[in-house]
Amino acid sequence: MTTELFFVQLINGVQYGLLLFLIASGLTLVFGVMGILNLAHGSMYMVGAYLVWYFATVTGSFTVSAVLSAIIALSLGILIERVLIQRLYNRNHLDQVLLTIGMIFVFNSLQSILFGNDPYGVAVPGALDGGIPFTDNSSYPIYRIFAALVCVAIAGVLYYVVSRTRLGMLIRAGESNREMVEALGVNIKSLYTVVFAIGVMLAAVSGIIAAPMRSIVPGMGESVLITCFVVVVIGGMGSIKGAFVGALLVGLISTFSSVLMPSMSNMIIYIFMILVLLVKPQGLFAK
Amino acid sequence: MIFEKRTERILVPMFFMVALFVPLFLESNSFFVGKVTTIIILSIFVMSLDFLVGRVGLITLGHALFYGLGGYLFVILSPEYEAVNFWVYTFYICGIAALIALVTGAVVLRTTGIYFIMITLAISQMMFYYFFDSLEFGGDDGVFIFMKPETSIFGLSFLNLDDPQHFYYLALFSLFNTLVFFKVVLRSRFGRIVEATKQNPDRTEALGYNIFAFRLTCYVIGSTLGAYAGFLFALQYGFVNPSFLAWEMSGTALVMSILGGLGTIYGAILGTFTYEGLQYFFEHLTEDWLLFMGSAIILMVIVLRKGIAGYLEKLLEK
Amino acid sequence: MANDIVLETEALSKHWGGIKALNDISLQFRDRQLHGVVGPNGAGKSTLLNMLCGTLKPTSGCIFHKGQRIDTLKPWKFVRRGIGRSFQKTNIYPEVTCLENCAISAQRRFGGNFNLFASRHSNQMVRKAAEQALAQVGLDDRTHTIAAEISYGEQRQLEIAMVLATDPCILLLDEPMAGMGHEESQRIIALLKELKKTYCIVLVEHDMDAIFELSDQLTVLDNGRHLITGTVDEVRADPRVKEAYLGAEEDDAEEQAA
Ligand SMILES: Nc1ncnc2c1ncn2[C@@H]1O[C@H](COP(=O)(O)OP(=O)(O)O)[C@@H](O)[C@H]1O
Ligand SMILES: [Mg+2]
Repeated sequence: MTTELFFVQLINGVQYGLLLFLIASGLTLVFGVMGILNLAHGSMYMVGAYLVWYFATVTGSFTVSAVLSAIIALSLGILIERVLIQRLYNRNHLDQVLLTIGMIFVFNSLQSILFGNDPYGVAVPGALDGGIPFTDNSSYPIYRIFAALVCVAIAGVLYYVVSRTRLGMLIRAGESNREMVEALGVNIKSLYTVVFAIGVMLAAVSGIIAAPMRSIVPGMGESVLITCFVVVVIGGMGSIKGAFVGALLVGLISTFSSVLMPSMSNMIIYIFMILVLLVKPQGLFAK
Repeated sequence: MIFEKRTERILVPMFFMVALFVPLFLESNSFFVGKVTTIIILSIFVMSLDFLVGRVGLITLGHALFYGLGGYLFVILSPEYEAVNFWVYTFYICGIAALIALVTGAVVLRTTGIYFIMITLAISQMMFYYFFDSLEFGGDDGVFIFMKPETSIFGLSFLNLDDPQHFYYLALFSLFNTLVFFKVVLRSRFGRIVEATKQNPDRTEALGYNIFAFRLTCYVIGSTLGAYAGFLFALQYGFVNPSFLAWEMSGTALVMSILGGLGTIYGAILGTFTYEGLQYFFEHLTEDWLLFMGSAIILMVIVLRKGIAGYLEKLLEK
Repeated sequence: MANDIVLETEALSKHWGGIKALNDISLQFRDRQLHGVVGPNGAGKSTLLNMLCGTLKPTSGCIFHKGQRIDTLKPWKFVRRGIGRSFQKTNIYPEVTCLENCAISAQRRFGGNFNLFASRHSNQMVRKAAEQALAQVGLDDRTHTIAAEISYGEQRQLEIAMVLATDPCILLLDEPMAGMGHEESQRIIALLKELKKTYCIVLVEHDMDAIFELSDQLTVLDNGRHLITGTVDEVRADPRVKEAYLGAEEDDAEEQAA
């Protein structure tokens, strides 16, 4: 591997890892605060990607489409939590798994009814098209750098919200102690609705950001969901910090393995996860 | 009596009586016989999952791994253009599947709860990609099985797997045996501790039982029977591809077992037939059957919590 | 005298973050004696029992059973060494009958736990052992009742029956009489008097009359510290105990007032 290729892959890996973090953070947040394992989390990623594609073809503006899609996703999150997820709070893991599998079926079928099963692509917004010259004869796409920066910015906001604000305090308290949050006079129901909606939006925003870089295809939600599982299992379920470390590890490992041993690359993150679990059955940053 | 509930004592004989005669009436309709055969095989798979989830308390989302392995192991082990012996290969396949279950079980059973769900899913996904990316096993398309095995025992052959009716009876016989086997195991002293472990794992451990060993044994049993079902399915259709061990397969089987009545064992048959029936119905009704299936599952979680068996038991048990 | 000691702790400590639930506890438990453990709520009594039966691992310190170090063993191996334990919070199998609860406890000793085929009802020894344990605590009339359906006091009795069914040499009992009626408590006290002739019993109990009546040795814990161990009379005479207990009683009074 040349140094140049190494650096390109390094940036690719970090960028992919950051995107994974954005998706996984929603999954782990919802689990950490509400104790809900949302298998339909990947579907929300898919929803984001399809929505932004649809609005982009209609309006022609990526920015407008992105904002519209994010707002719709947020409303969708609130709706789902109010109508369905609320029924799961005192249920076991199994019911959660089932209900969210049902949701995957519904979203996949809505996708095929509304948008068909052809693969789509979203054009990179004009201002971010092109590349940053890397060496004399190669360059790195600006949009990928931009996407990475957006992920970092959102991660920063998330960190700030969780560690510095009143909402964050409630979230941290809700993780450890339901009654305490209630004692603070906060309606735990509204807190859960907000957290779930944020989780959905994080997934959808990841889909929006990823749309110009990846093809939009049926089944994209599930494949990303399972990668996210690997991320949060490695990092420790419910831990945002764990999700961050796990996502970067998975991003780097899968990027480098796809260059170094392409035939194994799909498998390698799972092998890595198993190794981590053998040493730490609760993940790296378990509480 | 291994069938303790009245509902079982009524439904189980009824089902097998009817099932015994199905091919005779539908001699001309071999498509239908084939379809029912498939559902019977699937019932074996769902039953093995119902045992693990409903009776042992291991919520696995990776059971399809073994379904797929049943098919792929046959392809890996048998020569391509030569009919091998069915019984010998059943033994091989189940043996190796059990070994794989022992090794993977030792890893996944280190975790519990939500971690167990996710790691079982991830391991099956890992093997999915292994076969998906492999050139040797046809990648995405999978592999054909050109020769069905022959079934002679000591030179006597009474079963021809190329005949759909014969295959039907083999599947039905297997289903019956699986049902009886699980019932016997659950009634045993081993089953008593398994039941105890599900109800109250901490206390069971505090009473001196190595609950890991009990769970691992169950995991091996359930996985091996799952692999057997996959083997039968691959033989019936004459091919095996990665979709056998896709997560959708595990998820659907879980839905079937819950629809039937989780942990009832015989409910697996009810659930599988009902699900497949519904799917057949929706499929013919509309192209977007998945939407109906999805909504039906969501409704089921919210309304029909004890499954079909639960409702029947309410009616039939006093 | 020394080989009477069947269970021994050496500088045993358990910390949870900043909370020192137990600190530097060294105790000796002797065969054919009842060793009472008392102390105000939160003193660390349950934590001590949890470590003695292997469900909790000590932060530091060791536990010896007949001279062998056991604190590193898996929890289920403790029972195989004859260390049985009842729980403060009722910890039974609610969905099955009382007999079945005891059968689960008893079965381990008779082997065949991995026999997949023989019916669970076929072994008469398991059944007899289970019935005997129920009879010992006076639950014979509840044999076939589902455990969730008997009264709280009866569940406490069942809890003890389940330990007895494991046929232990060392009995660790965590507030066995809490929640029982007077008659049932008397029955258990009589039972313990009988049992301590053959077993080593470690008894955590709030009922002081019972403790004073039963204990050969008595240990007082306070706030994770070991205050004193001695005979009942020695402990009663000790000024520090009075202090700890008076303090606790005042707390109780305040709680009741609130
Ligand atoms: N799992 C735990 N995590 C944190 N602290 C605990 C835990 N269990 C017990 N403690 C603390 O340890 C101390 C001793 O508890 P415990 O042994 O239950 O007391 P006792 O049985 O004497 O009333 C208490 O302060 C309690 O809050
Ligand atoms: Mg206590």
